[in-house]
Amino acid sequence: MIRQWYEPLNFSEWLRRTFSFLNIAVFIITATFIFSEFRFDWVENLVGSYLTSTNEFRPETGAIWETGKQTSNADEYLNKIINKKEDTRQNVYQASTFSDLASGVSPGEWVTLEKQQFKTLYLTLEKSTALKIIEPAQLVWLLNGSSLDRIFCEGITGGIKIYFIDSENRVIKQIDLRKEDILEIENGDKPVPGELADMEGFLGRIYPAPFFFDTLFKLPADIIPDLIVNPKALLKQEGKIINIGIWNESENGYIKLGFEFEEAGGKQVVFIKGREWAVWQLSLNLRGAGN
Amino acid sequence: MNLMLRCIKLIRFCLFFGLILVSLGCLCGMFLVFFVAKDLPKLPSPLSRIIERPQTQVFASNGQVLMTLGERKTIPLNMVSKDFINAILAIEDHRFFGHHGINKLRTLKALYITFFKSGKIQGASTITQQLAKNLFFSFEKTYKRKFKELLVALQIETSNTKEEILHAYINQIYFGAGAQGIEKASRVFFGKSALDLSLAEASLLAGLPKSPTNYNPYRHYDRALKRREAVIKRMVQVGFISDLEAQQVMITKPELHHEQSDSRTGSYFLDALINELIQKYGEDVVYHGGIKVFSTIDTRLQTYARQSLKKGLQRLDTMMGIKDENAEYPQGAIVAIDTGSGAVKALVGGRDYYKSEFNRAIKSLRQPGSGFKPFLYYTAFKNLGFHPATLLTDRPVIIPVKGAADWKPKNFGKTFSGDMILKKALFNSVNTIAAQLVEKTGPEAVNRTARTCGIQSPLENVYSVALGTSGVTPFEMASAYTVFATLGVLHEPFLFWRVEDPFGRVIFEHIVQEKRVLDPATTYQVVDMMKSVIERGSGRSIRHLGFNRAAAGKTGTTDSYNDAWFTGFTPTLSTSVWTGFDKKKKLMDINKVGITGGKIAAPIWAEFMMNALKSEPERDFPIPDNIRFERVDTTTGCNPKEGNETIEVLKVPLKPEQQLCVEEKQ
Repeated sequence: MIRQWYEPLNFSEWLRRTFSFLNIAVFIITATFIFSEFRFDWVENLVGSYLTSTNEFRPETGAIWETGKQTSNADEYLNKIINKKEDTRQNVYQASTFSDLASGVSPGEWVTLEKQQFKTLYLTLEKSTALKIIEPAQLVWLLNGSSLDRIFCEGITGGIKIYFIDSENRVIKQIDLRKEDILEIENGDKPVPGELADMEGFLGRIYPAPFFFDTLFKLPADIIPDLIVNPKALLKQEGKIINIGIWNESENGYIKLGFEFEEAGGKQVVFIKGREWAVWQLSLNLRGAGN
Repeated sequence: MNLMLRCIKLIRFCLFFGLILVSLGCLCGMFLVFFVAKDLPKLPSPLSRIIERPQTQVFASNGQVLMTLGERKTIPLNMVSKDFINAILAIEDHRFFGHHGINKLRTLKALYITFFKSGKIQGASTITQQLAKNLFFSFEKTYKRKFKELLVALQIETSNTKEEILHAYINQIYFGAGAQGIEKASRVFFGKSALDLSLAEASLLAGLPKSPTNYNPYRHYDRALKRREAVIKRMVQVGFISDLEAQQVMITKPELHHEQSDSRTGSYFLDALINELIQKYGEDVVYHGGIKVFSTIDTRLQTYARQSLKKGLQRLDTMMGIKDENAEYPQGAIVAIDTGSGAVKALVGGRDYYKSEFNRAIKSLRQPGSGFKPFLYYTAFKNLGFHPATLLTDRPVIIPVKGAADWKPKNFGKTFSGDMILKKALFNSVNTIAAQLVEKTGPEAVNRTARTCGIQSPLENVYSVALGTSGVTPFEMASAYTVFATLGVLHEPFLFWRVEDPFGRVIFEHIVQEKRVLDPATTYQVVDMMKSVIERGSGRSIRHLGFNRAAAGKTGTTDSYNDAWFTGFTPTLSTSVWTGFDKKKKLMDINKVGITGGKIAAPIWAEFMMNALKSEPERDFPIPDNIRFERVDTTTGCNPKEGNETIEVLKVPLKPEQQLCVEEKQ
């Protein structure tokens, strides 16, 4: 049955309708709704509970999480440094020669070397070559008599630096080793694969073999034996000498000469030592003849 | 009747309209909550996790912790003074224990003021909302940000107890001066634990979080007190304290803790150290990596350096007649470096870090004046074969400069003294003789010597560089002079020995490497001349002040009196002191007489060195084997004639090949 709505016709009708059960109920519910919220904060609780339930699915954004990320970045960076260092330490620990040592420490990296390990590496070298790294007497003093605390190894481009340091981190003794020097020390008279032109110390002092020997034989007879003091290594080597280089520095009264051999397998360089004054004389003649 | 009906109609309309509005509001609210909630940040659980963060620690050379970066020393609520809890609740949110994250009435009032009173904005953030803002949001003021903050506050309230929220809040808020959290703030500002805070101190601290910079009590003590007044009044209003108590507290002025000034970020040394670490490892590692940095600083020497500089600058204020608080004050810097290693033992870069953070010790390029002459004399000795007894004439000098006006250097006293040996010329700081030397050596050679000694600032290749016209820093001067102290051995200056990761694994270690850069015998000759500066020259005030150890140095005052220096060293410690204004302004005393390095910088140096070295045994500079000493007439450069007692005689060190009485052609 459809009843047509009509406007109350009198005041009592108005009052009756205004204060109808439905209106009073709606009013009471609304008022209760508002006042209970002010009294019990249930909207806040409801929203809070809803947000708590969705917490796990929300993004980790905002200042506090950013700080967390920065901490993670820092951890990552530090771990990278530490891991790299640990790798270097392992390389050094496993090194059985100075060449291994030089290859294991990249430029800019450093590692502490155990005294015992240094001794072991040192003792693998022949007496005559070991002294090129450090005089045995000095090493004995450093390891057993001085205020040495640690041995510190730092990688540099083309080699390593070894520092003997005291407990105040002061360097007592420093040894700079270039890879090619190490190779030479370790290999002694063994030929090194490669060409003289690739070895920096010979630059500008490389001469063709015929020219070199021509000039050499023109020297007074008493000088020649001092140029090639020990020919064993040269005589042992197979192949043909194509170039000879004179090193740019002298060491303990000797100057290094490099003989570049060519054979089927490629080029190899054999190093021998000549007395400084004899090599000096030869150099003058080589340059004079060249001019 | 009609009127009555109209009223009833109106009431009915309002009622239903209101109902519709409330319903719509609820719907909109729900929609907004669902819409915004997905972008809300995740809340860490438990909330205390926010305070867990690795702390980077900086240690002094004696192992004392100098500073902890990102330190928030967390303490439970029962370890915090009740007065502080009351004070912070009163000023920030006195209904904290009654609301559920938002103070509705206050929010409605704030909204009304913000929307209906133009130009006014009322804040109504509760402690929970502030916590939410500090943890997750930027300080950007937008309605969206505010709404998000409100929602997070509701979640915080739902998932934590009031005690947990208050605990997180007080351990996390920033009070300024590098202090985060109440315990750290309490230690920094008052040197005590948060539990021992008095009402006067607690109320002062409670006022700081509103604006830590503006109310920083170290800088603006009066403002901080005014803010405290507001806190105390609020405490009375909410019934935490009585009027009587309030009156008593108002008259109490809490004494600030100053001793640990250098343990806070507010230290020139730590600033320099942190900058270097950031350059090396980046900000994340420095501020969030929890690394341990073992610095070179000696806290005892650092304290002496700060005290000596402060006293010296106060003396300078008096000399200059500066009394007005608003006047521009002269500044100063002091750097002390261990000659044997290059370790920086003390560094102060200004008068007051809290007034000016500009680090003059390492950033301010100032003309060293005659302080540069030792590099010139070394160059002349080395390149020209001159020695301390070489005779030159103090006379007017005109040096032609290619493409510029002739250079006419003048002596400080504007007079000329005729013939004199170089030793006398240095300790009397004779500019005309220095000019003759640089003309012979060339400025490039002098600059090369300075560079060899570690000077890195740009140096001009002009004659006047020998008289110190190119700017250098006090740090560089102290470091370069260590090369003289070690008779030619350079140690790179450095600020930290070692850096470790949070687990104690070493990631950096400084190795002290020696590099011989100057000839020892020649350097000794220069050092001997520099000793005379202190014995009888422009730095003799040092001896008058009672510093009797073997020491050498050189004063430096620029022509314009803009800079006054003294850089000197003993065999173990090299120290440089600079004073001057930041702007181009002369150091003149009340009689309008210029203030020299000997007058102001040398006494600061002497006071510092006396304290710094008091527990060390006395040592003289070692004399190289090939040095012999000769007595020389200062006006002839020859051995003195016997019987003539009127002449001035000096003992000079000579190398084997050097002879006396060899006249230098001029």
